[in-house]
Amino acid sequence: MSRQTGIVKREPQSLVQSDQRPVIMPACDIYENDDEILVVADVPGVTADSLDINLEKGELTLEARRETSGQAGTFLGVEYRDCDFRRRFAVPGGIDADKINAELRDGVLHLHLPKSEVLKPRQIPVQAG
Amino acid sequence: MLTRWNAGWNEFDEMFSAMNQLRTYMDRVFEDTLGGRLQDGRALPFHAGTWPRANLIDAGSNVVVTAEIPGLSEKDVELTLNQDVLTISGERKVSAPEGYSVHRQERPAVSFSRSFALPCRVNAERATASVKDGILTVTLEKAPDAMPRQIAIKA
Repeated sequence: MSRQTGIVKREPQSLVQSDQRPVIMPACDIYENDDEILVVADVPGVTADSLDINLEKGELTLEARRETSGQAGTFLGVEYRDCDFRRRFAVPGGIDADKINAELRDGVLHLHLPKSEVLKPRQIPVQAG
Repeated sequence: MLTRWNAGWNEFDEMFSAMNQLRTYMDRVFEDTLGGRLQDGRALPFHAGTWPRANLIDAGSNVVVTAEIPGLSEKDVELTLNQDVLTISGERKVSAPEGYSVHRQERPAVSFSRSFALPCRVNAERATASVKDGILTVTLEKAPDAMPRQIAIKA
């Protein structure tokens, strides 16, 4: 696992949060191949309409609201609650912003950041001379 | 490990909370934490006995257990009901897709088995469970003698 990667940077986020609604940074896996960077995030309970993904000035922001679908009754034990998921990544230049696509399935978000031609590794033909 | 709620705060909890603090400090030293972080940097507590995170609700005539199981569907989870103990078990595999190199891996790959002591006996035949968006919901009907009951007061 490379540590010096410029891809991920944890930014201090000073936000006012109330006790009722914690802001949680979801656990993320980051993978890369020649064509794209793939970010996989655990966001259980999030639906596509409450998910917000934004790429601006080289910073990718993932935001989502998670409601515990109004369970009625007395809570006898609580280990997770309504929360906001929020995470920011610094993204290298050379990501094709128009071709970013996201898939949300079973509470897991797969975010594909395709690399533009500039970033793709290229074979340079050598001419015998 | 059996999870029992409503047992009150006692010395064991204090001891574990101190250990949890130590773990949080250690997690901060090693940047990668399984299971995510709160905004202020505190790592959400993670160890094999606490995945998946679950809520227990007393909904009048039902007992409802909900759990966060991102990435799992109904065939990945096994539910066992034994008198008044519900056990949720299964395995969550996490692997890099073919041909990708790994920069960061925070999502925990766990083989889990959590048991929950329910507040009363439940009717095993009438239990239902469903998974949606990575949240498992198990609805258990209380046994007839555990149902809430109105008591008439004679004037």
